[in-house]
Amino acid sequence: MEREQKARVKEWLEKGEIDVFLGYRMFQGHPLPYCFHPGRAHEIQGLTEGTARYPLVKIALGMARREPDIRIGLLGRDCDRRALKILAVWNQIDPNRFRTLDLNCCPSPLKTQAECSYLSPVNSGFLKGLAGVENSLDLDEVEGWGREERFVRWMHEFQKCIKCYGCRNICPVCFCSECSLEHPDFIGTGDLPPEVPLFHLARAVHMAGRCIDCGLCEEACPVDIPLRLLYRKANEIMKRVFDYAAGTDDDKPPFSALEEKVTLEPRKIDVAQGEGR
Amino acid sequence: MTVKRITFLQELLDFMGLGGRLHLEWISSAEAQKFARVVTQFTDRIRALGPNPLPGWQLSNQLLFYPEPVAGVCPKEDSWNESKRPV
Repeated sequence: MEREQKARVKEWLEKGEIDVFLGYRMFQGHPLPYCFHPGRAHEIQGLTEGTARYPLVKIALGMARREPDIRIGLLGRDCDRRALKILAVWNQIDPNRFRTLDLNCCPSPLKTQAECSYLSPVNSGFLKGLAGVENSLDLDEVEGWGREERFVRWMHEFQKCIKCYGCRNICPVCFCSECSLEHPDFIGTGDLPPEVPLFHLARAVHMAGRCIDCGLCEEACPVDIPLRLLYRKANEIMKRVFDYAAGTDDDKPPFSALEEKVTLEPRKIDVAQGEGR
Repeated sequence: MTVKRITFLQELLDFMGLGGRLHLEWISSAEAQKFARVVTQFTDRIRALGPNPLPGWQLSNQLLFYPEPVAGVCPKEDSWNESKRPV
């Protein structure tokens, strides 16, 4: 964390441009989320960043919901900035009240050393590669498998689920106050193990047009289900079929019913044409 | 909107190995012949895909024993008791 960055945050707080700043502070050797505020400006010196990623955006969203007038600054990793953009597009936050201290932490050809927990090497055991789906696979590799193999491998992963709701709780763009994964009319609470693959398919469908590919869900999963890979496929479908990439611009996402005009044009639908999927 | 969501879901199910089992069609209650034709054709297509692998699915030990996965429904019997278990 550069001195200029800390000075800038201090300036924002002292000038009153933001009310609080969410960042990390060392606590017994670990960088933990901390809320800096103007009353204790000397603590800004402790502002740090580390490889551990906490959902600062989710904390900020909770704050903004309780106090709509608050202005929040936060450490803005690339994924955090995309999350803020998506939340603004879905009318969950007022983008004028949020300010990010931009961190250039995604690895690129120019910056191979980056501060991100996603870059730590993945050690998966032999059974995962043999019978399941490895987290580090490409989409092309998964699509190279046949239909039965895909099914058996994904079910091997999904059936490990213990319904901890970790993926949903930590996701920065999951904002529904009535989550259908908890609603008794859909997938209710209790009832372990969850109905596979319904739980994960439901989440994947809800992530369409919202997932910003931060990988926190996969990190949070206690049983190591390759969630990021699944949602990456959802994003790939969005990009290919609807030409929409979440968090990159301010377009309305394709699945949002906000301000949509419905037109009914007669179209010939051919039933006999089987895609052979 | 429905077309968009169904298209998306079809592709996602395909990715997961349950593809080809979802179809969307708009049919009025006055188009009985079309309804019969669509349902018959779709039923034939589903039959060709084989039974639904979801019910009765259990953790498959078969991938440990055979180099390539076995197609179709995994058997309900406990495969640990079979003699194919490696020593």
